[in-house]
Amino acid sequence: MLAKLMKYEIKATARLFVPLYLTLLFFALFNRILNPFEMLDSAESFNLQVLFSLLSITAYFMLIIGTMVMTLVIMIQRFYKNLLGDEGYLMFTLPVEPWKHIISKFLVAMFWTVLSFATAMCSVLILLKVDNLFGELRRLIEQFTELFGRYALFTMPLYALIYLASGILMIYAAISLGHVFSRHKLLASFGMYFALYSAYQIVMTLYLLIFGRMIFPSIMTGSAPAFSEISKFLLSLCIPGILIMLSNYMITNIVLKKNLNLE
Amino acid sequence: MNNILECKNLTKAFGNKVALNDVTLSIPRGRIIGLLGPNASGKSTFIKLCNDLLTPTRGEILIDGKRPGVETKKIVSYLPERNYLNEWMRVSDIVGFFRDFYDDFNVEKAYDMLNRLDINPRDKLKTMSKGTKEKVQLILVMSREAQLYMLDEPIGGVDPAARDYILDTILGNYNENATIILSTHIISDIEKILDEVIFIKEGRIVLNKTVDEIREETGKSVDSLFREVFRC
Repeated sequence: MLAKLMKYEIKATARLFVPLYLTLLFFALFNRILNPFEMLDSAESFNLQVLFSLLSITAYFMLIIGTMVMTLVIMIQRFYKNLLGDEGYLMFTLPVEPWKHIISKFLVAMFWTVLSFATAMCSVLILLKVDNLFGELRRLIEQFTELFGRYALFTMPLYALIYLASGILMIYAAISLGHVFSRHKLLASFGMYFALYSAYQIVMTLYLLIFGRMIFPSIMTGSAPAFSEISKFLLSLCIPGILIMLSNYMITNIVLKKNLNLE
Repeated sequence: MNNILECKNLTKAFGNKVALNDVTLSIPRGRIIGLLGPNASGKSTFIKLCNDLLTPTRGEILIDGKRPGVETKKIVSYLPERNYLNEWMRVSDIVGFFRDFYDDFNVEKAYDMLNRLDINPRDKLKTMSKGTKEKVQLILVMSREAQLYMLDEPIGGVDPAARDYILDTILGNYNENATIILSTHIISDIEKILDEVIFIKEGRIVLNKTVDEIREETGKSVDSLFREVFRC
């Protein structure tokens, strides 16, 4: 059943994301051919060419921001409308446990968020006209390892994914908690988001106060951190990240399972 | 286990407002039951509680001996009083959706009914009129071979001609052991198909009898009794 739910979730979202990605990539290609940056450099006075270049660059950056905003909006809308709006009457009468609804929405949201980021990166690469792309990428990775150490190539994405996951689940938890209120559900959801956010900030601060000395001793001595220290620090931050993620998931599941009220 | 649905002291409150008040009921298998009451009397609340879309404030519901959950959702086919289908989907997509999730869904039956009502399976929901959407939903719900059908206002939004067809559809598509509970306030049209009626007023059950009992005891039709009980 989880696989079927995910299939329909991907179907429902792909029709929004795929055209968005194609537009972004097309605009990157368009800007590469038009080369507005060079036009701006070579222009001697303000003319139509300059105006057009400025417009084209602006449109591209708006599209990048738009892609990120749309990713967030679609994620919220899919949870709110499809589960707690009218469509929820269908979803919650399917013979499926509530946790499968949460997990299917969550995994698909993770997938699109990573893909939105990857598409934005791709569009930058298209725009930049990099010669010897793979050589440049290798150089980038080398520089990264010089700064943070080899392990950070794994620990940093892991850290990012865990906090992305707990962020998505926090939105779900806030919407679910807001739904428990009998009136002003949307406003209550915003309130709940800030309540959860503040609570987790306190948890993180306490965690660092208690364990900071242990996991990041160079902070105390003021010396430059060793590579192993950076990765250890990132990994240790994953622990509260995972706890926050689980807590968000559990809040969402309890509300949808024990306290669902579609009015 | 003879009764398909039982509820004991079922109460649902929204804030201070009590929508359903201490309802105790037993509903046997193989009946067509009208849940009748004016607007906001608690009909939809009762049906939504049975479908696990609302959480009871107090009391208990048992469907086929089980609390509402995954197992009861497999045997209950529910028609809500609103449009719950994705607007961007085609009818054929939604038929596929029902087939994927309900083991008791009969695809041929669904296509046959769509065909008879001249609904093109390739059409998207958003291009359809409100009445057509309601027909699609009813076809989907009645294409399941369920044990309990709960239809919330199934004839509310469609014209009288389609109403007859829909009632025939309901009657022609359920097996003898299944029970149909349908809520409505348009009684005259459905009186002829009902075995039993439940009158609900301000969240309480005020009458629960078979149609024959009503005729014998009062000499009145369900419609005229309804007008009497719910006179404003």
